[in-house]
Amino acid sequence: MNNKMEKLLIECITEHKENVYRLAYSYVKNADDALDVVQEAIHKAFSSAGSLKAESSMKSWFYKIVVNTSLDFLRKHKRIQIVDDQTLEVHGPVSEDQYANLDLKKAMDELPTAYRSVIVLRYFEDMKIEEMAEVLNENVNTIKTRLYTALNKLRITMSDDALREVK
Amino acid sequence: MQEQLKPLKEQYESIPIPKELDFIVKQAIKQRKKKTAYLKWVIGIAAAIVVCTTTGVNSSPALAKALSEVPVVGSIVKVLTFKEVVVDEGNAKATFQVPAVTNMTNQSLETALNNKYVEENKKLYDQFTAEVEKLKQNGGGHLGVNSGYTVKTDNEQILAIGRYVVNTAGSSSTTFKYDTIDKKNEVLITLPSLFKDDRYMSLISDNIKEQMKAQMKADDKKVYWVEGAAAQVIDGFKTIAPDQNFYINADGKLVLSFNKYEVAPGYMGVIEFIIPTEAIADDLVSGIYIK
Repeated sequence: MNNKMEKLLIECITEHKENVYRLAYSYVKNADDALDVVQEAIHKAFSSAGSLKAESSMKSWFYKIVVNTSLDFLRKHKRIQIVDDQTLEVHGPVSEDQYANLDLKKAMDELPTAYRSVIVLRYFEDMKIEEMAEVLNENVNTIKTRLYTALNKLRITMSDDALREVK
Repeated sequence: MQEQLKPLKEQYESIPIPKELDFIVKQAIKQRKKKTAYLKWVIGIAAAIVVCTTTGVNSSPALAKALSEVPVVGSIVKVLTFKEVVVDEGNAKATFQVPAVTNMTNQSLETALNNKYVEENKKLYDQFTAEVEKLKQNGGGHLGVNSGYTVKTDNEQILAIGRYVVNTAGSSSTTFKYDTIDKKNEVLITLPSLFKDDRYMSLISDNIKEQMKAQMKADDKKVYWVEGAAAQVIDGFKTIAPDQNFYINADGKLVLSFNKYEVAPGYMGVIEFIIPTEAIADDLVSGIYIK
């Protein structure tokens, strides 16, 4: 890797470190693991910088590494916790009214990773569809479809909950 | 739809950024760079408020004064700690320990050595403060510098002082420098002065290469960058420098020292080779120092 590229990469990492941390956090859900992901993503970025062609796409490229590292992490550390109903009640939120966005949040958490990624990148990280396509390694149309489906799923899950509450 | 997602976005944006993030990012960046620039004072740090608790390392007039206050214990040449400076600015910590040689009749040598030690530490101190300043502007990081000395040999004939500098920024690097003094004649011993001619360089280098290879053969955890040992060595050890770091140990053996990374991977640390006297006997000026 030449010096100019290395410098740009360091700038890119430094500029987006908080964003990529949140992005990682949105996958792994805790600070320690998110920090691990960020650290590993930076190592990967330097060692695979040769594959980076144009400076313009550096941000998307780096985000892509962070997303992939997060997914790898989840794959490696699949943690399944089985909790009985009683415990759930004790630890669960007592009053749903305190959490105005609880249902939506729950729906979001239940979204399959592929759909959650598009929502996070599009609406939380304010990325363009084209950038998302690069980050997620899909073509633009696939991203559009996936985003549409994701929004639909959120709405559907919510209306399901609403129906149940009415009953 | 975006309206509906707003609370979630706010929640996303309120994911707290742990204070370790900065450090971890800087460290990760640095670790990559280390391969090419490990000796540079790279870094990072949390905006520490610089409250200098020191006035810097003294220069020579103060040195003279301090030395005059040292009680004379016999007229034996010895080394003592002349000054110790501690800087603690939160994430940036440094300790400078300046040695001083005393009780020499050869005043010019004593002064020259002591001035050198003060200068070395003054330089480290200046570098350190400059680095801290730079870090503050860049938003922070961790930095540690530790300098000090050890007496390698102190017998009737030889006084060997090793000064070390440990740089810590993510990982650490250590460098050593030695002075070997003939206490009886009060002269500073240099490597070339021990030998009749230049042959010592190849004699010592060949011996070190043999030792490297023998050690690697005996223990596969040891790795030296030496030509002929491994196919992937590009810039391996070929020869010592004319003024390579050395000292004479208590057994009267010549010891060659290499700094971390100089001839081996970092995990091998600072490396020393004791040169068997037979290997260099032919070229030695005399058997006074090296036995």
